[in-house]
Amino acid sequence: MTNQTSYQTLRHTLVHTVHFVRHLTSSAYIVRCSRGHLTFTPGQHLSVGPKNNVNMREYSVFSGDKENFLEILVKEVENGLVSKELKKLNPKDEIIIEGPLGFFMIEESQFEKPLYMIATGTGIAPFHCFAKSYPNLSFTVLHGVRTSDELYAHQIFLNDTITYIPCLSKEPPTIISSTDDTQPTSKKHSTTSFQGRVTDYLKSIEIDREGIYFICGNCDMIYEAFDILQQNGVSPEHIKAEVYF
Amino acid sequence: MKFYLISLGCQMNVSDSERVKTMLIQMGYTETLHEHEANILGIMACSVRQKAIDRIYSLIHKWEKWKKSKSLITFLSGCILPVDKEKLLKRFDILFSINELPQLPDMLKQYGITTPYSVAASQDTYDHNSLAIKIAPQKNSSQNTTNSISATVHKDIAKEFWKIPPTYSSNYTAFVSIQNGCDKFCTFCAVPYTRGRETSRPSSEILKEVRILMQQGYKSITLLGQNVNSYGKDTNGKELTFTQLLAYIGNMAEELQHDCWVYFTSPHPRDMTREVLEIIAKYPSLAKQIHLPMQSGDDKLLIKMNRNHSMIRYNQVMDEIKEIIPQATLFTDIIVGFCGETEKQFQNTVEAVQKYQYNMIYVATYSPRPGAASARWEDNVPLTIKKERFRKISALLRESAYNYNNTLIGTEIKILIDNISVSKKSTSNPKENITKNFSSDSQNYIYLIGKNEGKIPVRVVLTENALQNKNYNDFINSVIGNFITAQVTGTHSLSLECTLEHIPTSFPHKSTNSGNIQKNQSSSLESISFSTESTCLK
Repeated sequence: MTNQTSYQTLRHTLVHTVHFVRHLTSSAYIVRCSRGHLTFTPGQHLSVGPKNNVNMREYSVFSGDKENFLEILVKEVENGLVSKELKKLNPKDEIIIEGPLGFFMIEESQFEKPLYMIATGTGIAPFHCFAKSYPNLSFTVLHGVRTSDELYAHQIFLNDTITYIPCLSKEPPTIISSTDDTQPTSKKHSTTSFQGRVTDYLKSIEIDREGIYFICGNCDMIYEAFDILQQNGVSPEHIKAEVYF
Repeated sequence: MKFYLISLGCQMNVSDSERVKTMLIQMGYTETLHEHEANILGIMACSVRQKAIDRIYSLIHKWEKWKKSKSLITFLSGCILPVDKEKLLKRFDILFSINELPQLPDMLKQYGITTPYSVAASQDTYDHNSLAIKIAPQKNSSQNTTNSISATVHKDIAKEFWKIPPTYSSNYTAFVSIQNGCDKFCTFCAVPYTRGRETSRPSSEILKEVRILMQQGYKSITLLGQNVNSYGKDTNGKELTFTQLLAYIGNMAEELQHDCWVYFTSPHPRDMTREVLEIIAKYPSLAKQIHLPMQSGDDKLLIKMNRNHSMIRYNQVMDEIKEIIPQATLFTDIIVGFCGETEKQFQNTVEAVQKYQYNMIYVATYSPRPGAASARWEDNVPLTIKKERFRKISALLRESAYNYNNTLIGTEIKILIDNISVSKKSTSNPKENITKNFSSDSQNYIYLIGKNEGKIPVRVVLTENALQNKNYNDFINSVIGNFITAQVTGTHSLSLECTLEHIPTSFPHKSTNSGNIQKNQSSSLESISFSTESTCLK
């Protein structure tokens, strides 16, 4: 049987206090709340819902595993029973969190291998968590969005250890740079975006057959990326996917 | 005062309803099988299929009419989606999640019913018979959601629920609930939203219940859980692992020298370990039957279903089963026509089915389940194609099961007898030389109906020699719920036909009050009913 990495399984259902809601675009936002005693393995997700509301939805943890708060990245869904409610949260409001859940994690045996993270939209959340939790881990991130304003919290990926490839389907190649003014100019990083979808990018490069691929986002993108990787000799065992819906 | 309880859906609900019955019986109620006689009417709901939801509305509509002319209390529990909870709360007098069952006396008391139990329940802490409930009554029903309770209370409630002993519906076969809830979030399934997160029952309680069952002579014990083989993973090492639990149970059967078959359902391929298989192989009491849901043989569809394993992984487990327990019968679940399933993807499933030669496949044509993630996707495989795929898988199953069954011809197999079937006449007897048996009514034939260790349905015909045996009547009166050994003399695609030449000379006498004698007009083996529901299609 495969050697599976140890992961957090001690479940909890608890009330967490909202610190703030940070709006990234008109429909995407980050909810930061108290961490409590919740432990998780980077890549796992939580089931989250407003207090006194029977509905809950799953969101990948956006924040790092060593931070003393929890963050989730939410895209407002039309007629959504949860995302619309979370958007209205105010500091000191309470939310219910169950978790951690899921298996979208880097296994022990995979840390030494070439790692590729492919995301669309808010599917970047678990990779943001990887970057925060494993600051020395070298990996490649492909993030597909329509326009550069949807490159949520891209600063974390602009550093010496991560290869960051933003793919903009509705914007010409653009220089994406770190806006962290605390860094000296010499430490600032930038990259030029690829024009097209992440799958277009995958088709344009030579696929690393030995790589471990993590794909997170909508199912159509996952299917297409899966086909491209498999056609180029990547074993399905080396492809992990988390479907966002 | 009488209660009527109907259980919809899977074995988990059946198991849960056995605990609900215990609570009501201990409160002084008696069960009735006729709903019009009851003072309390309850439903163990299933949200997996729309048909079950429709049934709930149909029943409550009828009961609401009855309420105009008599005093009734209605309650609803089981698998209920949050969105349905809100709607149904208005229709039922009491609605509770199954973990809140220990509070049922308090809830009923609020409706002015006084019973010895509800009097005791008025105290914050009380102890009644074997029940030790220490949960303060909730005054506000709006607080009765798991969303608004802390982890500690949530776990405590779950633990109290499991302390309620079930009222078993059989005296030789029992379900033992070991785990509740699901963390897997398969996109076609609503269970994570109705039953919440995986919660493991304390190992000591499970072992105690299994020991009692063995001591009472139970022959078939099924460990139940939505993800039964993830048992213990939520406890951070405080409880036994699933492998350890099985080993303890295997040892227990040896210690008690009890002959029985212990099953478990439903496991998830991701959590199936080599160690579990080795333990099953080691202990005779652990039944050599593995139900490993595949759902689809296509990697991409498995991703879309959020199954969290690839076919490489599934194949690995299946290969290990064949290596470690080669005699095991193999069961699986398959969904055909899942959102966007292409012909090529279906063919991958077909190839896997052909490869593994299952003994049973619970095939479901996909339909969106309210509350499941896939309900938001287009159900875009035409019904005609779904039906065609269903037929294809069913045909492959019949072929593989028939081939397997044929290998058993001439062998002696052990059978646990469930029923005695009385048939007017047989039209499908595969063996001309099998003597038809008759009851006192010479127009009727009698067959013993049961299953072998691999859960293959078996019909046993008694030879003239057996019928003439002086112990025949004693045998017939005590055979239900006991093992017999008989020779396989014929097969059908999904069942076996055996012949019993000799009535056993020493046969354990036992009450058969839970047995059934079915009148089966056709008597065809193919008409033997067996469950087509696994535990929520895991």
